[in-house]
Amino acid sequence: MAQAEAFETDFWKDANLRKTWDDIVPGEPRKTIPYTLTRHAIELYCRSVGETNPIYFDEAYAKTTRYGGLIAPPSIHILLMFSCTPADDWMRSPGTVNAGQSWSYNIPARPADVITLQARALDKFIKRERLFVVHDNVFFNQKGDVICSGRGWTIRPM
Amino acid sequence: MTATFDNLSAGDVIDGPKFAVSRESIRLFCDASLDYNPLHLDDDYMKGNFGKTNFGGIIMHGMNNFGLISRMITDWACPAGAVHRRLETRWVKPVRPGDTIQPTGIIKAKQSTEKSRWVLIDVVVKNQAGERVATGEALVEFPRDLFCQ
Repeated sequence: MAQAEAFETDFWKDANLRKTWDDIVPGEPRKTIPYTLTRHAIELYCRSVGETNPIYFDEAYAKTTRYGGLIAPPSIHILLMFSCTPADDWMRSPGTVNAGQSWSYNIPARPADVITLQARALDKFIKRERLFVVHDNVFFNQKGDVICSGRGWTIRPM
Repeated sequence: MTATFDNLSAGDVIDGPKFAVSRESIRLFCDASLDYNPLHLDDDYMKGNFGKTNFGGIIMHGMNNFGLISRMITDWACPAGAVHRRLETRWVKPVRPGDTIQPTGIIKAKQSTEKSRWVLIDVVVKNQAGERVATGEALVEFPRDLFCQ
């Protein structure tokens, strides 16, 4: 199972393997990989955006809440998008510019969840000479429950 | 005062946290999100043009805005027993090291459905010059049986 420790941080490597705007077929599933979410990954993500809610850090406190234990912030899908996709995924293409995203949240992700992603390009179009792709994503936990679903608009490198 | 569905009115404001953007904060977000796009790391790369756009240097991840807005919404909703259900965002202007950004929410509408109660919130993120860098809309559920606690 691929984990963050093995994550290739040089996005230029494998760049030639990634689909360009011309290659991307709307509707075609993207390759994805399961990812086990860890407390460490949640805590690191929380630190990066300044989250301080103890429900993400303090197990004793989290047990007293209706969630019954630690959870991840809803926006943890920002990490999951990269942890659940392989190095040749076109979302890693250098120069990919994020134009906006929308996400719906069902249940929280939790430490030790084994998270899977179903993802595809949904649409591609040209606007003001820019090459856009719309991507469509659903994250599930190990029980098959939907954690969140979302859509994003990226401008593809030319 | 903790928000309740009944005491909320259109126009009520949610003040989000100020966030100082630096090379270090951007690098930390790379490590936390695993998004190592050179847009956020490589000054030489960012000297180039992107179609008709030249950013002039590295820029913060758009999704850092998203995470900050989401933090504002959950910090506001959770003490009220409410649940952050949706966030839609659009990036308006690049954010650079040295900027300080702050999200704000403005209650737009309330609606009850057969099984729950919902609050729509307009979201804007501004930089230290008061310029809008991101806009969006959030949806928060106020369940009839309060949820978080």
